[in-house]
Order: sequence, then structure tokens, then C-alpha cells
Amino acid sequence: MSAGGIAHVEDQPALDPGPSGEDEPLACEACLRRAALLELLSPRLEYVGRDPDNLAALLDLADDELLEGVAGKAAARLRKRLDATDHSQPPPPGVQRICRHDQRYPAALLEGPGAPRMLHVAGGGVQRLGELLREPAVAVVGSRAPSDYGLEVAHALGRDLAATGVTVISGLADGIAAAAHEGALDAGGPTLTVMAGGVDVGRPASRRALHRRLLQTGCAIAELPCGNGPGGWYGAARGRIVAALARLVIVVEASDEPGELIHARIARGRGRLLGAVPGRVLSPLAAGPLSLLRDGAVLVRGAQDALDALYGVGERRAEATEGVEQRGRLQPRLRAVLDRVAAGEDTLGKLLAGGSGREALLVALAELELGGHLVRGDGGRYLPHG
Amino acid sequence: MLARAHTFTIEALQARPVAVEVDIRRGLPAFTIVGLADAAVREARDRVRSAIQNSGFEFPMRRITANLAPGDVPKVGPGLDLALACAVLAASEQLPGERLASHALFGELGLDGEVRPCHGTLAVAQAAHEEGLRALILAPARAREAALVEDLDVIVAGSLCGAVRVLAGGAGDPLPAPAPSRPGDTDEKRPDEPDLADVRGQRPALDALLLSAAGGHNLLLSGPPGTGKTMLAQRLPGILPPLTRAEATEVTRIHSITGRHHGEGLVERRPFRAPHHTITPAGLVGGARPGWIGEIVLAHRGVLFLDELSEFSRAALEALRQPLEDGHVAIVRARHSAVYPARFALVAATNPCPCGHLGDDHIPCRCRETDLARHRRRLSGPLLDRVDLVAHLQRPGRRELGEPPTYTSARARELVVAARQRQATRLEGAGVCVNADLDARLLRRHLALSPDGERLLHTVQDRRLLSARGLHRLLRVARTAADIEGSARTRERHLARALSLRIESTQADRRAA
Repeated sequence: MSAGGIAHVEDQPALDPGPSGEDEPLACEACLRRAALLELLSPRLEYVGRDPDNLAALLDLADDELLEGVAGKAAARLRKRLDATDHSQPPPPGVQRICRHDQRYPAALLEGPGAPRMLHVAGGGVQRLGELLREPAVAVVGSRAPSDYGLEVAHALGRDLAATGVTVISGLADGIAAAAHEGALDAGGPTLTVMAGGVDVGRPASRRALHRRLLQTGCAIAELPCGNGPGGWYGAARGRIVAALARLVIVVEASDEPGELIHARIARGRGRLLGAVPGRVLSPLAAGPLSLLRDGAVLVRGAQDALDALYGVGERRAEATEGVEQRGRLQPRLRAVLDRVAAGEDTLGKLLAGGSGREALLVALAELELGGHLVRGDGGRYLPHG
Repeated sequence: MLARAHTFTIEALQARPVAVEVDIRRGLPAFTIVGLADAAVREARDRVRSAIQNSGFEFPMRRITANLAPGDVPKVGPGLDLALACAVLAASEQLPGERLASHALFGELGLDGEVRPCHGTLAVAQAAHEEGLRALILAPARAREAALVEDLDVIVAGSLCGAVRVLAGGAGDPLPAPAPSRPGDTDEKRPDEPDLADVRGQRPALDALLLSAAGGHNLLLSGPPGTGKTMLAQRLPGILPPLTRAEATEVTRIHSITGRHHGEGLVERRPFRAPHHTITPAGLVGGARPGWIGEIVLAHRGVLFLDELSEFSRAALEALRQPLEDGHVAIVRARHSAVYPARFALVAATNPCPCGHLGDDHIPCRCRETDLARHRRRLSGPLLDRVDLVAHLQRPGRRELGEPPTYTSARARELVVAARQRQATRLEGAGVCVNADLDARLLRRHLALSPDGERLLHTVQDRRLLSARGLHRLLRVARTAADIEGSARTRERHLARALSLRIESTQADRRAA
């Protein structure tokens, strides 16, 4: 089952040893067996587990029922393998296991359909997890193929929320989630990653560096045992954990396909606050957030909107980050160009179309880019940054 | 009796001297040719026999042995026919042999004795001059090309009889009158050639095209399908500056050897080569078979246009690295090796992503993250490292389509020619002629930054936005921008323009990180 186990030994980041001298969190035999069962059934869940309601109903079943229901004819063989598994093997160093029978198990995870029975925690361990969840947390989710606008917004949201001290929850797979995590890490703030595989497997490979960084300063949790790669079915499974742990779920960019809005759907089902970042009406990636807004989601333009939704309007101020302050001090001519870019004249072609003052415009663009106020996005577009 | 004649064979881009020795002895009638002759040379036996007989001479019915010296150089092509026939005639005493020592012969023979032109005439004429030969006898059709070599007597012989007359001390045929020049050979823009005035909007891409033409910079055009990448590239030949005489000689030599030069004098137009993306590495750089000239050599002193850059095979693109850096390509194979000149400007066009719509305002990109990463990997690194300019094209909006055209080809060409002239004057004696070829030392000497330019450059350096190589590319382009404007100093605005058209690490790269 742990096919990647040996091949990925080198990929495994050096995990911090958990806080010593603490009570070892409880991981009872039944819950360990449950985790091993999920690991065994993972390939079979690919098909039946993609629908969140279906999946939640399945995961509420007892071990034997689940095994019979999902494995069918192979159930007897799999049960034999499961019985042969030695659950007493300790997890890799730096990873702690906690099951729902421990008092420190996040209470939010005990509610709702398909509640996970146990978690693997890396990066600071159970104690850190408790700290991160003490205050309301915000999840930032979105499309797997986001635009550079979405990445920029997600990065800024993650950064500003984390700078204010709000825990940012997200996965690792989609671009929006990775950008939000990066933003939070850049601000040195709290992050919580919900992994689709084992906590120790940084996949996709392009996210390996980010995964390593997350384990050093953030915290990662996973339902599947260590060594497992992410399963496709786990999108929906992760959605239920994210929705359970976060008070507010913000969708940054998503097309209106069901798969892209899965987190929002689960969060709404659980009565969580739902936020959405608007985009251009013409952009297909704005369709998801715009339909959520039409249905009553909170409009999120930045960290302040998220804080207002969590704590009440004006109760808590977002920390002004360096970039925003700097922008206020810009010379008027640079400020004017930056505003034109922000208003949608974001390509060299559009900016130069007017004809007059081209040289001054080019110089202003160069200065803004060198000052870090503009970055280049897809198709050479300029994007306001910071 | 023994006779000897001088001729040449083409090896890579060189004309190698060949001595044709013919010995006629008593024995059974036979005609053998030795000395690493290829099929075309071995077939010369039959052509030579018929030509001699049809010209009213007698083909000796004795044992004829022809040796092509030196024996270790492979002889290719039909250009040796004329020398072979004349040596046979001299050996059989139908022709006085004195002039064979000072007159080189080059041409293919028809069965009726007609002398036909062969590829590589200019190279042969140059080699004949270097060998110290007094005259070159050849077919009328290529005579004007050979006449470009000074201090060499070019004698025209329309037939074997004519050649015999010359070798016997007579005069050659008159040099044919120059044919009316055909469009495409001269430097003038063809009337049916597309004009830059057809392009609306796309201001940054036009600027980049102009910079590339003026400074010889490598250019990447990136944009969704249908935004005009190929359209722009097709208009590039119309604004390229004319070849200088020295460049034209190099280009004519190459094109004459490959049989692509159909004019009479020098090639005047810069080469523009646009191979299809299925081309093999050997087709691109050369070496597919002995003597095969690659596309990049044909593009020497001109432009190599690669449309759909990401579709080219990885190996083909990798093969471009060294020539792009060095300006020549060394082809080494088991049976042949040669160094070819290959100083060309690379102009490439690509979609921004596999589906083509990344960054498009209206059509969503359907690529997965892994597709994007693969697309980027394919282009990035070796090749993009050598691209000086990138222009992103966007679908023009209503406003742009309604605008008057920015440049006509004629106006753009004026700017380019003037900028090249300024570079040539400034770089006189430096060994290079365009800004793209400036090395770090020359760049420092010729950059002449103004104070405001200096300040911007310091900011660039402080921000660590660019690698050392990237910085040099930026400065070269800035220098060209200044040359187009006619400014002696490189100012802030020139650097700003270069910065706006540089290869940047985009959000997309950060996404993959």
C-alpha cells in the first residue's frame, strides 16, 4: 500500500522532533486500525469517494461495514491483511498521532457527518495544533488552475491574515492554497496544512520545497498514515476537515464546476461562514465566487473584510503590511501609473496605446517594478504587488 | 602521354583544389577514374566521352586513367567534368597543354559539349585566386558571380569547343549582359511583400521587432494563437538592413554552394530562414550527411525564425545553444568535420501555454499546472537564456484595431538602417558590427550611460532582479534603443524600454516554485 514508502525516503523532510516531556497523545488500537483500513481502501475509494455526501456517509460506517461496502468480493482478503498489520509501530520521528478519544483532539472534528477518527500531526505536534485552533481560523481555497490575479490575491490574504495572527488553513495541492500558505509563511504567521496524503509526503513534487517550509514553521495534519501519496478522492475528504476546523472559508477563484467548489459546498452544509473574492465578470474563474456571492456569501476584498466577518465590523484591524504603507508614500506620477494598472490597463500594449508620454510611462513602470510594486504575470501582464 | 588540369571540389564551405591527371597508354580501350570520386564524378566518364565526340574531337580508343589528386579528399559533384575533358584532349594531343597550368576549369558538361554552371562558383573563384591561378574558365550562367573576385581573369566558355579555343590561346565568349534583376534578389522590398502597416496595435511587439532588426538581438514573440506573431515575423525581412559587401560575400558563398543563389551577383537581401518545427537537429545545424548545410548556416547574417518554438524537439533546440553563443557551429562526424559560420538573429514565436490562452482576457486557459510546467521547462533554461527581448502579444481590443498603423515598413527600415549605421561607425575596428555581439568589455566602452541611466542601473543591480548575463542583455538592448533614437548616450528611458521587454520570471514561475 505504501507504494511511495521506499522511493520517497529521500524526499522526506527532516521533521522536528515533537515536544518532549509532554504526555504522549492517545492513539487507541481501534482508531489506528481505522487509519490502516483507509490506507488499504484508498485505491477503491477513488471512484465512490468523489461525491462528498456519499463519502461522508461511507466514512460514518463501522470498519467492517465500510470494508464490505467498498471492497466487495475482496473484503475477506483485505481483512486478513488488515488483521496482519502491526498497529503498534511508532510513527516516524516528529509525527504524532492523536485519536478522537484524547481530550486534546480538536472538538470541531468530532461533529458532522464522516468525522475523522484520528489525525497524524507534524510540525510542532498536538500542542501546536491546539494553539493554532484556539482562535477562529480562516480557510483559503480555490481553483486548481488559478490565474495570476487569484494567486496574487490569495498570497496577500494569507500574508495579511497571518500577520494579524489569524491561523490560515488550506491544503497543498491547488495553486490558491499554496499561494495562501506562502503568504502566511512570508508574514511569519500561523498556518495549518491539511494534507491529502501522509503528513510526510510532499506532493506534487513542485510543492516539495513549500511542504518542507510548512513543516518547519507551520503545522500539518493528515488522516492517512505516513508514506501515502495524495489520493484523488481525498479532495472531498479534506474538504470536510477544512470546513470543520475553519470558522470562515474564503473561495478566491473557482470555475463553477462542482469539483472546484467542493470546499464551499461542504462548508455551507456545515453552516460555516462562506466568503468569496470577486473577479472580472467575464472571467470563467470568477464564476464560482460570483455565484457564491449571489447566494449570500461574504464579500472579501482583503484581510480586513475577513476580520470583519469573523469578529464584527471594525472589531479587529488587519495589520498594515509594509507594502501597503510604502504604496501610500509613492510619488504621484508613479501612483497614477499603479492605479491605471490596477484598473485593468495591465499590459504594455494597453498602457502604451494612448501614445503620449510613452517614455515617461516606461520609466515609471521600470521604477515601480524595481520598487516591488508591480510584478509580471501571465502573458507579461503587470500586477500590483504588496 | 600525360596531362594535368586544375579544378576544384566543394568540401563543406571550402573549395579544395583538385589536380586532374590523365594518362593515355596503349591497351584495351578503357576509361577509369581513381581518387575518391563520388557517383556524380564516376558518371563523368560517359558525359565526357559523348561531349568530346559531339564537339568534333576524337575520343582516344586506348587505355585512359584519370587520377584526381589529392587522393584523400572526397570529390563530389559534376563540376570536374570540364577539367577532365580538357585533360583527356591534352593527353591525346588534340590541345596544347601549356595554358592548363595557369587556367582553372570548373563546369559540368552536357552530352552535346555545352558547359553548365555548378554550385559553389564564388567559392571556387576565391580558391582559384588564392591558389595563384591566373584565370578561371566556366559556364556563362555563373560568370558574374565569379567575376566578383578581383584579380582573377574570368573566362566564359559556353561549350567544350570554346574552352579548347581559350586553352589554345584564343579569346573566351563575351561575359553575358546582366539579366534584369528579379524581385527577391535585390535589397528592395518586393511590392507583394507584406507591410508593417497591416499591423494594428501591438505597440510593444513592434518596438521589439525594430530593436531586434536594428541590433541583431534574439527575440521571442509570445501570445495566444491569432494575435499576429507569425504576421509580425513575416514582415521582418522587409525591415532588415541591407548586407554590407563583406557580409554579402559570405552569404553569397554559402548560398551559392547550396544552390540557393539564383541571382547573378551578390546576394543583397539578408537571409530569412523559417524551418518547420519537425526539423531534426542535424537539419538545423548541419551534418545530416557530408556537406549538408544546416538552416542556421543558411541564416548566417540574417534571421532564423522558429515558429511554434515549443513544438521543436528538445534536441534541436539544445543544438542551437552553442552556435547562438559563438556565432559558428562545429560539425564533427565520423567521416567529415567542418566549422560553419552561423551568426544569425533568432526570432521565435510561441504560445504562452499548450492550449495557448494563458493570460488571455476572454478565453480561459485549460492547461493543468503540470502542462504549464512542462511547457516552461521545454523553453526555459538554455534557449531563453540567450533571448534578449520578449514581446507579449495580446488580442487587440476594439480601440487598438481602430488605431492608425504605427509604422510602415519603409519608415521602420529607415530607422533600422540609421541605427545600424550608428553602430557600425561607433564599433569601427572592434571586430563586431551590431550591439547584440558586444561582449562585456566592449559593452562597458560603448554604453556611455547618462547620469539618470546610471541611477536606474544601480537600482536594477541593487534589486538583484537580473543575473550578470541578464544584465548584459539588458544593457545591449538599451544601447540599441539609444541608437534607434539617435542618442549618443544610453539614457534612463532606453533602459526602461529594455526592462519592459526583458525575459522576466513571471508569477507562473513562482507558482511552480
